[in-house]
Amino acid sequence: MWILPDTTPVSHPLAHHPFPLQDYREFLDEILFPADVIARRVAELGAQISADFRGEEILVVCLLKGALTFTANLTPHITVPQTLDCMSLSSYGVGHYASSGNVRVHLDLQTNIEGKNVLLVEDIVDSGRTLDHVLRMLRTREPKSLKVCVLLDKKERREVPVQVDYLGFDIPDKYVFGYGIDIDEHYRHLPFIATADLKRYRKPG
Amino acid sequence: MKCLVDMQPYSEFMAEILVDASTLQRRVAELGDQISRDYAGQDLLLLCILRGGVVFLVDLMRHITIPHAVDFMAVTSYGVGARTSSGHVRLILDLQTDIQGRNVLLVEDIVDSGNTLAYVLDLLQTRHPRSLKVCALLDKKERRQVNVPIDYCGFVIPDKFVFGYGLDLDEYYRNLPFVAVVDPARYHPR
Repeated sequence: MWILPDTTPVSHPLAHHPFPLQDYREFLDEILFPADVIARRVAELGAQISADFRGEEILVVCLLKGALTFTANLTPHITVPQTLDCMSLSSYGVGHYASSGNVRVHLDLQTNIEGKNVLLVEDIVDSGRTLDHVLRMLRTREPKSLKVCVLLDKKERREVPVQVDYLGFDIPDKYVFGYGIDIDEHYRHLPFIATADLKRYRKPG
Repeated sequence: MKCLVDMQPYSEFMAEILVDASTLQRRVAELGDQISRDYAGQDLLLLCILRGGVVFLVDLMRHITIPHAVDFMAVTSYGVGARTSSGHVRLILDLQTDIQGRNVLLVEDIVDSGNTLAYVLDLLQTRHPRSLKVCALLDKKERRQVNVPIDYCGFVIPDKFVFGYGLDLDEYYRNLPFVAVVDPARYHPR
């Protein structure tokens, strides 16, 4: 675990502006993984995937929006022939901080995956319900193989067993943000993965 | 193991590297700095049209130091052929975000005829954003058919068939860290 070294107070450009977006340093608890540690691990995953699929071709499926940064940084390290597709999903019912499992597809794959090696890329798996549902849905389309690459695994939260073939990091059951993962749609651009102290976090708007 | 993929190595059909990885990264960082300054103290929503712009978007986001949100659209053209054919596009994924009153910056990998972009901009204007600007990594100016404003441009490029850094060649090679030119005589689509 790494603690943010820079503790000097910053004067945020939005401090006096009607658009009140909170400086992340105010609610950042700790940096779990700094940028260089993530980059190294992502390169390792890419090398492992390339080795496992040697002589084959894969379709990389990015689950929007959270997995975008992970996917964009992972794919240059995958050296086998590859194509890219994206899916946009949301869970039915339950709110933003929980997941019921049934998913609604907003954007389906443009690619027919029948007979293809599919690598599903996800930012985070917790209950496993969403991922389980997507995998079952994709299996009905008879891909040649279907593998899962997840950056972060909150194992403590698991409710259904789910297949994870490639994993970046195990993380504790804490609210995380950065490296593509948002809090209320913001803070995805941060190059590290950090935990948020939600008591100190204020919703924008 | 038997090699199941008969994939032509890109070195066989690559005419030249148009923009190398370090030049790309430097320019993306400059664009990020400029956008961060221009929108300092304001709301910013980056809007990316799938799938070509995603690599550029992810690198650009890292260099935009001010808070910002991101959303996606996926479009397809009516009829057959390239998505630039008539410019009329069908939305297959609309924004999750209501852009009314927001500062929207459209992030595109490449602009050539401008038809698709013009159509998307018209569509977005009907939703009354506070501002609507365009950031394009590559601008093939020679190919322009309609006048579209490019507020932030990475590189003006000649009218050549390019691939890499998010731009595909028959869906492949998006993952290359540079932008290169295809020599069509040496390229054999699979």
